[in-house]
Amino acid sequence: MNVRPFSERHLLHALCAFYLVASIVAAIDPVKRDDWLLENLLVFAFVGLLIATYRRLPLGDLSCVLLFFFLLLHAVGAHYSYSEVPLGYWAKETFGLSRNHFDRLVHFSFGLLLLQPAREVLMRVAGVRGFWSWCLPMTLVVSLSGLFEIVEAVAAWNVKPELGIAYLGTQGDVWDAQKDMALAVAGAALAILLAQAASLWRRPASRVPRLR
Amino acid sequence: MKLVSARYPLTLLAAYALVWIALAIAPTDRWSWFLENLLILPFVAVLTLTWRRFAFSNVSYVLIAIYLCVHAIGAHYTYRQVPLGGWVRAAFELQRNPFDRIGHCAFGLLLVYPLREIVGRLAGVRGALVYWLPIAGVLALSSVFEVIEAVVADIVSPGAGPTWLGAQGDEWDAQMDMAAALGGACTAMLIACLIERMTARTPAVTPP
Repeated sequence: MNVRPFSERHLLHALCAFYLVASIVAAIDPVKRDDWLLENLLVFAFVGLLIATYRRLPLGDLSCVLLFFFLLLHAVGAHYSYSEVPLGYWAKETFGLSRNHFDRLVHFSFGLLLLQPAREVLMRVAGVRGFWSWCLPMTLVVSLSGLFEIVEAVAAWNVKPELGIAYLGTQGDVWDAQKDMALAVAGAALAILLAQAASLWRRPASRVPRLR
Repeated sequence: MKLVSARYPLTLLAAYALVWIALAIAPTDRWSWFLENLLILPFVAVLTLTWRRFAFSNVSYVLIAIYLCVHAIGAHYTYRQVPLGGWVRAAFELQRNPFDRIGHCAFGLLLVYPLREIVGRLAGVRGALVYWLPIAGVLALSSVFEVIEAVVADIVSPGAGPTWLGAQGDEWDAQMDMAAALGGACTAMLIACLIERMTARTPAVTPP
């Protein structure tokens, strides 16, 4: 896949500029500063990795847009330390939910939005094709979701307890880790379905067998 | 194409069948044994039926057979009553029988190499990812297993949460199980990588 040089990718410029501004705004006065920092440790590493690997492996526009939306959602969550996101409160009141579900939305988005970038990386780096170009990205996304739950647990043990609970965002749910991972699986599955539907949509009409 | 004999895997299958039958005769808790074996029979059936299309190496079949035996022992004693685990618990003064944790670690340790063969030979993955994707595969399967376990737990004993059998009252059980599988998988891939590096360095027999 040929990706245009960075200077010609105006969409990517706009995404980077918007994300930079949004990150700065979210960083100015977060609800809990310690929690904001903890939530962003992985983001710093991830964005750093994206920048560092750009020369060798520049991702296409679609992957960049999807990553942008995921990082933006996470920036909003980190600003409000997830359990206090206004949108989540609104959903809680409107639908009579037991807790602020914004973190669940982001776990689902992790699967939905990161499947395509993972697929692009695996197709280009590992040269996977066909069935495996769907199965292996799904595996990667689900495994990262599992790894995140492990990291989250380790962080919760080491960080001081009151912040641990805020960071953990289990919000009193004993099956929190399992629900988070299940949502990542569901998001990735939906991404595969949407990608398949899109490829059917783009297929030239002449190739589709016509009913007589 | 290299011809592969079925004798080796068939011998392993027969040995495993004997172990499985012996442990199926009088399990500690028949219902728990049934639940534990629900995923095993389809797994063995798929392995057997797909042999003609995709044969693992003998090393992989041995690793899979060892894992299946560990699981058969765990299922026989409902995991938390395995004598070996009870001995380890007493020796190291642990809070719980660690045999299921050992089983999760064995899952990663023993099944990552077969997964590597699938990733390398079937999916045709090139480069260093051939070591990393099997580890991701183990972690993903372990995560999915924890989700299934939670669903089963909520059906078997609704509202009990982690006090149910599998978690033995440990609220971090799922994360610890996944970490054990991850640790096992990383260890096995490291060993495989070292062995392959060492054998690659030894000069091959040069034709005259």
